[in-house]
Amino acid sequence: MIPLDIIREKLSVEAPWIESGGVHWLDPAPANVRDVAAVMNACRARFVTITAYQLPASEGIHLEYHWDLDGRLLGFPFQLAGNTIDSIFDLCEAADWIEREVHEEYAIDFRGREYEPLLLRDGDTAGVNLREEVR
Amino acid sequence: MSYKIPMGPYHPALEEPYKLDMICDGETVCDAKLHIGFNFRGIEHLAETRNYVQVIALMERVCGICSFIHTLTLCQAMEKLTGQTPPPRAQYIRTIMCELERLHSHVLWAGIASKLMGFKTMFMTCFEIREKVMDVLQAISGNRVNYSMNRIGGVNRDIEDPPAVLAMVEALEKEMADKIIPIFTTSATARSRCAGIGVLSHEKAVSCGVVGPNARASGVAQDLRRAAPYAAYKEMEFAVQAQQEGDVRARLLVRALEIMESCKILRQAIAKLPPGEIHTGDPKLVFTPGTATSRVEAPRGEVMYSVTWKENSRNPARVHVRTPTYVNMPAVRWMVLGARLADTPLIQASIDPCYSCTDR
Repeated sequence: MIPLDIIREKLSVEAPWIESGGVHWLDPAPANVRDVAAVMNACRARFVTITAYQLPASEGIHLEYHWDLDGRLLGFPFQLAGNTIDSIFDLCEAADWIEREVHEEYAIDFRGREYEPLLLRDGDTAGVNLREEVR
Repeated sequence: MSYKIPMGPYHPALEEPYKLDMICDGETVCDAKLHIGFNFRGIEHLAETRNYVQVIALMERVCGICSFIHTLTLCQAMEKLTGQTPPPRAQYIRTIMCELERLHSHVLWAGIASKLMGFKTMFMTCFEIREKVMDVLQAISGNRVNYSMNRIGGVNRDIEDPPAVLAMVEALEKEMADKIIPIFTTSATARSRCAGIGVLSHEKAVSCGVVGPNARASGVAQDLRRAAPYAAYKEMEFAVQAQQEGDVRARLLVRALEIMESCKILRQAIAKLPPGEIHTGDPKLVFTPGTATSRVEAPRGEVMYSVTWKENSRNPARVHVRTPTYVNMPAVRWMVLGARLADTPLIQASIDPCYSCTDR
């Protein structure tokens, strides 16, 4: 079983892992999401999902990326300043559908990829389902 | 000359809508593109408008086959937020219900796979067995599909007649060992329709993040019941079934062998079923603001719920559901590459897809 601190070292993160609510959390700053995806690939972790939240009072969108490593669920939170974040689709094939879904639900733009409709149909408005100011 | 064959949204194998656009060269599939969303119901948005009792009933309807699993995963997450620990008897009842649901799901799938292989008699046999499992589920819960068994802190109903569950397990195990597994493993028809068909390599299974029996059929031997145990699984002895071939036959074998393991787990759970309360009985639940996550090994693979609560709220602020078919289905594209067009309905069905889950 890979010790979690190896991941911290590879990402050059000083903050400790925190276990909470069934997840081992690591604030990955200063690493970005593509750095995290590359390290997870190197560890042969399984990509699980991205969970998006809209924070109250225009604080923006919060994304949580999850990987499974030997039965441990790892979580990496990212706070979006605007509506964009780098796509990890080219590094992690399994992220394709969930990036498309988060784009449709919250109108988030994953830089460096194109979208085809997933749950919505052609011409539907992105964000109409879960983005408060759109729905 | 290549041409495009759109299959769906009326599925040739299953009564649920999705579409597979296949580019074919003669009879051979050269590429494929999947389209989902025909069943999109916006359940995650609806969940934000329900209180902590109503949301359980809502999430039970994400999937018709795994309805117990969905409420279990949701309740486990809400138990983390409310600090509730279900009593041991409730944990055992949850384990028994999970395994009954797995039996019901795997036997149903075996029936559908048999029908697609041209084995109508086997289809009938599987559905007859499934009916016995459904009878037990109905006897325990009063319902055949949405069981309303889970609550925060335990379960709503006790298992009043454990020997009846054992009797069904004995009958099912015998049918599987005497009839179904030998036919699936030795019949020339089953072999010719399944062996070497719809292969998903180990590498592709890993890169696509495939879960459950589909992953285990490609040599990814992970099972959350073992890797991250919940309910009473820590106290159960069972083998994680895996095959290396990654073809339709491997997926079929993994599920057939998992039926036998489920019977083993059910026997242990019934024998060890502890006395006591079936829920905490806490009348007023206080939610700690924050997010809790729970994962459960459903018949089709890992289900994950992330539940977020705000302070002093009766409703969740966010419920995110990641279902197994959602990650398994993109792998169909790789399974059908190079396949004969006539094999594609069986290949699609071989992942045991649930479009209702996927679309939510």
